[in-house]
Amino acid sequence: MLRNYVIITFRNIRRNLSYAFLNVFGLTLGIASCLVIFLIVRNELNYDDYSKADRIYRVTLNAIDFNSNVALAVAPAMRNDFPELEQVSQVMYSHEVMIKVNNNHFRENDFAFTDEHFPAIFNLRWISGDPKTALKEPNSIVITESIAKKYYGDKNPMGEIINLENEINVKVTGVIQDLPGNRSLPLKMFVSIETIKNQLKNQMSNFWNIGGGYFTFILLPQHYSIQRIQHKIPAFLHKNWNLDPKEVRLPLQPLKDIHFDQRYINNIVTPTSKDTYYALFGVALLIIITACINFINLATAQAIKRAKEVGVRKVLGAHRSQLVKQFMGETTVLILIALVLGVGIAATFLSQAGTWLNVKIDASELAQPLVIGVIAALTILVILLAGLYPAFVQSAYRPIDSLKNQTGTPSKGFTLRKGLVVAQFAISQILIVGTLVVAHQMDFFENQDLGFNKDAIISFYVPNNAKKDVLEHALSNNPDVKQIAFSSGAPSYNNNFAGFSAPDHGVIKDDVTEMKFVDENYINMFGLKMLAGQKVNKANPKDTVQNIVANETLIHKLSIMDPEKAVGQRIVLNGRPANIIGVVQDFQSESKHKKRRACVLMYYADAFFMANVKLQPRAMSNTIDDINKTWTALFPDNLFEYQFLDEHIASFYTQEQKVYTAFKLFSSIAILIGCLGLYGLISFAAAQRTREVGIRKVLGAPLISIVGLFSKEFILLISIAFFIAAPIGYYAMHNWLQNYAYHINIGVGTFLIAIAASFIIAAITISYQTIKAALVNPVNSLRNE
Amino acid sequence: MIKITNLEKFYRTEEVETIALNKLSIEVKTGEFVAIMGPSGCGKSTLLNILGMLDDPDEGSYVFNGIEVAHFTERKRADLRKHNIGFVFQSFNLIDELTVFENVELPLIYTGVPSSERVKRVEEVLDKMQIMHRRNHYPQQLSGGQQQRVAIARAVVNKPKLILADEPTGNLDSSNGNDVMELLTDLNEQGTTIIMVTHSEHDARYSHRIIRLLDGQTVMENIMI
Repeated sequence: MLRNYVIITFRNIRRNLSYAFLNVFGLTLGIASCLVIFLIVRNELNYDDYSKADRIYRVTLNAIDFNSNVALAVAPAMRNDFPELEQVSQVMYSHEVMIKVNNNHFRENDFAFTDEHFPAIFNLRWISGDPKTALKEPNSIVITESIAKKYYGDKNPMGEIINLENEINVKVTGVIQDLPGNRSLPLKMFVSIETIKNQLKNQMSNFWNIGGGYFTFILLPQHYSIQRIQHKIPAFLHKNWNLDPKEVRLPLQPLKDIHFDQRYINNIVTPTSKDTYYALFGVALLIIITACINFINLATAQAIKRAKEVGVRKVLGAHRSQLVKQFMGETTVLILIALVLGVGIAATFLSQAGTWLNVKIDASELAQPLVIGVIAALTILVILLAGLYPAFVQSAYRPIDSLKNQTGTPSKGFTLRKGLVVAQFAISQILIVGTLVVAHQMDFFENQDLGFNKDAIISFYVPNNAKKDVLEHALSNNPDVKQIAFSSGAPSYNNNFAGFSAPDHGVIKDDVTEMKFVDENYINMFGLKMLAGQKVNKANPKDTVQNIVANETLIHKLSIMDPEKAVGQRIVLNGRPANIIGVVQDFQSESKHKKRRACVLMYYADAFFMANVKLQPRAMSNTIDDINKTWTALFPDNLFEYQFLDEHIASFYTQEQKVYTAFKLFSSIAILIGCLGLYGLISFAAAQRTREVGIRKVLGAPLISIVGLFSKEFILLISIAFFIAAPIGYYAMHNWLQNYAYHINIGVGTFLIAIAASFIIAAITISYQTIKAALVNPVNSLRNE
Repeated sequence: MIKITNLEKFYRTEEVETIALNKLSIEVKTGEFVAIMGPSGCGKSTLLNILGMLDDPDEGSYVFNGIEVAHFTERKRADLRKHNIGFVFQSFNLIDELTVFENVELPLIYTGVPSSERVKRVEEVLDKMQIMHRRNHYPQQLSGGQQQRVAIARAVVNKPKLILADEPTGNLDSSNGNDVMELLTDLNEQGTTIIMVTHSEHDARYSHRIIRLLDGQTVMENIMI
């Protein structure tokens, strides 16, 4: 019996090759997409999956804002006051470091100063070196395997000397395996914090001396509640720094929350929302549902063709259950073929998809027991979803009907098949709406409403402030350099914060403002819009009062609504009086996840360590080469690195970019799968209605009316789908947008595009078959009947 | 073997009720060869479907081999059918995806005959129908006459007590038609009961008895000598 089923399955596939192809291809794509999405989502949800992860907490700061950094003073005090903690470690994380190895320069990212407690908290995998001592002594460095390979090839790196920032020499005392991609601190080089202890001396006791990338981690003993530590924090703050626990808190953040807690968003780390990954899971589900719907639709449409076989088998004594088993068996064979192909495609394209989506996943993960379990579960789910209903439909025919060919009477009502087509259209419309909203929001993030000009501007580091004027002179001689401005950073770099108060305006307690140190060209070059007063002037070093340009948010904090009235007002900035000489319109100095903050611009030449250069749009890479030569001549010990401003802005939204790419990719796949099904369905409909078309043509129907005959139904189905998809799409995307302080509003246009796209996609899909059906000579179609 | 009494069957649509069989009573004895004739719509096919347990009557009694089967469940009817009845259709109704051998083998699969026994019996019957040389061909590679031989082979492979034939020569030319009728006659002579629906007076002459139907009732019975 089984042999008979297998034989007939393969013969059926061979006979209806195009049907099998549509089914298997759609399902293959669906399975491959689901697997890739599963691995991506698993990778993200398993962020910071260290073996002791559930006992590791990051000490964070919650004063005015949530800050993932705390002062270096916190770790030693905690070690002292909480002897119950198994480990306390501090990390000074740096995005970039300049390395010199045997006179070769490298610029590396993901570098940190840390202590010997770090390896005890995070289970690094050591290739050589002693975890207990490798980071204890000054001038020690531990590097990853890939860095070792990059610098030393196959040579043993232990004991080799590495130079950092042209200042410090450190010796390699350990080599560890590379950390997986899904780590919040994806470190590649660890230098013992003892190395720079002298420089840090005055930072070791001051609670407010907080640098970007100063992290403190604690390891709880086993079976110890974090609440017991958290309860003691207020007393700890009071005892050590006389701080008011109502104003300053140290939330102990579970390690595994770091990747997702968006309260801590900053320039270095952009936490992501778990919702995003649940949404991606949703997309995977929609894709697999679409593929199953294809299966159901094509199988039930084909059932008419196979009614005779069912009839004969029943006449010969087959029970319905035997026929259900037979059809389920056939479905299983097709699905297993799709499964093998799908896993193959997933394995082949996983690294490519990983590149697009900026995640590092290895194809070997497909062989992990959990993944195999998921594949098995997915297969069973698909077999049941796709196979069960058609099997019951196909086996239900009464033999006398099926033998008399009385099975194909098209029912007038809203059949299940139509319902499924509506579901497919609704899914593709939801995904189109989703993709469009994400696309608009991405454009809004990167291009709209920034408050400054970002085009053709590069920023680079000025290692020695004393040579600033020489550099400026040299650059201004280059005809392809349009404008130059020196500053502590372009508008989108926010590094400096200061406390301010304004007793005259009711701001008695210290509030926080961002500070940008900028030269007299800055406001013009970036096109910041002045609302009142003067721009930033070159300061006279003798001035005792600081002249500042404030942004709108700051003057609103002073309860001044009219910018003109803010000019001439005084505030206290960093403990010194400051005079507002001008008001600038708010601009986006950090990601749009956050509300804009108070900001002041002021002249302070000592802090001009970034040069910002606006280039002529022509031959920008040549100009950058020229700048590189000029710069390298001035700073021969350094490595020239630059960043386009628009790329820096885009880097705030890497997570969103991931979502956008994923949406584009997987929505296209879902729509393609839907189209395959639609194509199959229309082929069957055309075949089934050959006789009707023939009769209509004999009676004089023109081509257009025949095409209309087929299209009419789809127009109705697409419209019904739209009324389902529009509210769901709106609701889902509206919720997603709430993650951002600044976001677009979803317009009617988005929905119009979605439904228009549905019509166009459907029209392209069905046109070939309908026109073919309409062009058949009626003599042939009627004779066949 | 078969005794139907006051058999009634209606077909209902929303507006019209059609009587297909109207208090029909017929008896067929074991070993008989009966032809059923009548104009289109007289109820021939309905009768054959009920006799073949493909359909159930609305009223009346149907006793098959001493068992009342009129209101059997589908499963019970299927079980009784596969062991006792073989079918021959006008349009052959072979499964296109299966070879000649596999088509003939099918009833044996459903009655649970073991594989080695199946091969033996299928070869035996193909040999008898002189179609052995076509055993690996597909139906569409055969002529109409050959297809009907395969269909008859399939009908008899399970050694049924009754063969129901629905216009078995309807799609064949006269020479192939005669061959098929000879085959049925042979089977009948070997003891199989045959009930055949036909339009053809020529074919009907092969039978022992002709039952003529009109509007779901017997109008005449001719005994052939």
